[in-house]
Amino acid sequence: MGSTAAAGGSELHVRVRVPLDAIELDVDWRPESDHVAIVGPSGSGKSTLLRALAGLEPAALGHVSFGDDVWLDSDSGVYTPAWERRVGWVPQDALLFPHLSLRENLAYAGAGEPDVERMAASLFLSDLLDRRPRFLSGGERQRVALGRALLAVPRMLLLDEPFSALDRPLRSEIAAMVRAFARDSETPIVLVSHDEHDAELLADERWVLVAGRLTADGAR
Amino acid sequence: MVLAAASLQDVLPAVARAWDARGGVPVRFNFDATSRLAPQVIKGAPADVFVSADDEWMGWLEERGGVDGLSIRRVATNQLVFVVPTGAPDPPGAPVSIARADLARIALAGENVPAGRYARAALESVGAWSSVEPRVVRSGSVRGTLEWVARAEADGGIVYRSDALAEDRVSLAFAFEGEGFPQPAYSGAIASRTEFREMAEAFLDFLSGAEAVALFSASGFGPASAGGPVTQTPTPAPGLDPWSAVRLSLIVALSAVLLGLVPAVAMGWLLARKDFPGKSFVSMVVMAPLVVPPVVTGFLLLSVLGRDSALGGLLAAIGLPIPFTLLGATLAALVVGFPLYVMAIRAVFDTVDRRFEEVSWTLGVPKAPTFRRISLPLALPGIAAGAVLAFARALGEFGATVVLAGNMEGETRTIALAVYSLLESPSGRGATWLLVIASVMLSLVALLGFEGLTRWQRRRMEDHHGH
Repeated sequence: MGSTAAAGGSELHVRVRVPLDAIELDVDWRPESDHVAIVGPSGSGKSTLLRALAGLEPAALGHVSFGDDVWLDSDSGVYTPAWERRVGWVPQDALLFPHLSLRENLAYAGAGEPDVERMAASLFLSDLLDRRPRFLSGGERQRVALGRALLAVPRMLLLDEPFSALDRPLRSEIAAMVRAFARDSETPIVLVSHDEHDAELLADERWVLVAGRLTADGAR
Repeated sequence: MVLAAASLQDVLPAVARAWDARGGVPVRFNFDATSRLAPQVIKGAPADVFVSADDEWMGWLEERGGVDGLSIRRVATNQLVFVVPTGAPDPPGAPVSIARADLARIALAGENVPAGRYARAALESVGAWSSVEPRVVRSGSVRGTLEWVARAEADGGIVYRSDALAEDRVSLAFAFEGEGFPQPAYSGAIASRTEFREMAEAFLDFLSGAEAVALFSASGFGPASAGGPVTQTPTPAPGLDPWSAVRLSLIVALSAVLLGLVPAVAMGWLLARKDFPGKSFVSMVVMAPLVVPPVVTGFLLLSVLGRDSALGGLLAAIGLPIPFTLLGATLAALVVGFPLYVMAIRAVFDTVDRRFEEVSWTLGVPKAPTFRRISLPLALPGIAAGAVLAFARALGEFGATVVLAGNMEGETRTIALAVYSLLESPSGRGATWLLVIASVMLSLVALLGFEGLTRWQRRRMEDHHGH
């Protein structure tokens, strides 16, 4: 699998501090490639880092920019709200809207019916489109959450343990599909995972987050 | 224990002090409308002496063995007077001029309360009743009537002379004097069940003695002798249509729920989701009607929304008068039910996972449309449950309604008020039961609905958290 990183490296530049309950997330981060994985023990602040990138941590201080867009600059009071950042956030527990069918969940950001059908097919969800989330397995939910995020045409994908409920063969298949999507649309991915295998499937570069501090991982 | 007509509330304690000073045993009083006291005597209220404001109720009690018939004696008389708010221009000078159109609202006591019955009889005797009737607002007691006139909520009212003297915010326009007008008269009697017959007898004697007569006369009452023989006032038909009460209750409760929907959702959301300075104060004010006696709530509403207040005056000027209107009854029901409404909605917003909203934002949908597409539908069962609770509370509302909106047949007399009115009417049994059954059924249906909605809400939440 070839790297899709742009010649000048990633366009993401993150220098934030977010106070957490026990520790403080404090990172100064400029990844090399477009597809990165962040690993680390639970409680180290991985999910918080994703949320800060998505614009869901109003307490975050510092500077976040993506290409020419400044998303956060606490010195000059810049804060781009989540709905203008347009990142595809896939939380670990999927968070499908419980009052909407799968079809409605997938189409939430405004995708048309053909796109919804196509996405459902590539995620092996076509038979389930008219069900409510409560009738789905955990793995099915994760796939819907992924599809919902992809259909919003995100400028960046923030995946928080996106495949944790999928079994192995399916996991590889879905990961390949996400990878292809990212390549075709030139969408950067930030993946948070416990799973070495997921990180290998999706990312070209690995970082380790421990107790709120991010370091490059030489393993890859 | 002396059970006495409400209009004696000021004078009898003075008489009792004189009686005390002369070595009599201390007397305790229970003042209320004669029409409410008389049935209480039959039902076993502790009573040694009963002082009635009209002879019919005394006769009614005697027939049922509530009082000792031989002990009945006249103790004082009173006079009906027409009062207007102090300073009112051009008050009417005689009974016939009450028919004048500029007296838009005339306050009377309830139709079974003696003062209300006397007033009707007086108006009938000058042929003015049919023209006055549509303009009548009825309060539960003479005191209530007086308060409404004092606040200029009513342009005039018929009360006892003794009451008019005690209230300086009203002035006396004229008295219903002379032949043909009913002469309100108080009689006392010994309650049959008393254990202190001798003392009761002594107190009755004292009531008709010189010292008491002087006190009565100083308070505006007339001598016992003026009453003459027993005067029968005709029992007015209760004039109460139970279906109109059921209909009004439903209208009031439904409009209260609809009118309160947006404010309750906004307030519930605000209290669940936002921190702002003064939040506990706001929460306290919203919840207050839950614990403040409804009558007090009604009084406060009347003070804020009455025609003599700035806000009430403004509302009346734009054609939205609140007191004594269906709108007033609705508002009273809404304010009293609002805490339940808000509590249920606040609770549901507390349980809806905020991260659903966050997902929606990241999908490019800003806050307001996210609220409409995600938060509101997810909170829907709780909002409905709040609406049902507020509806049920509105159905049961009495205290604030009777103070703010009065007890007006066909306009503000809901089930609760109708039952209350019927309880003091000797002929109201059948209709009472009809209303009692309707009331219980409606409340049960509402509570069943609440149960169902709560279960719906819980199921929805389990859907999400269950895995």
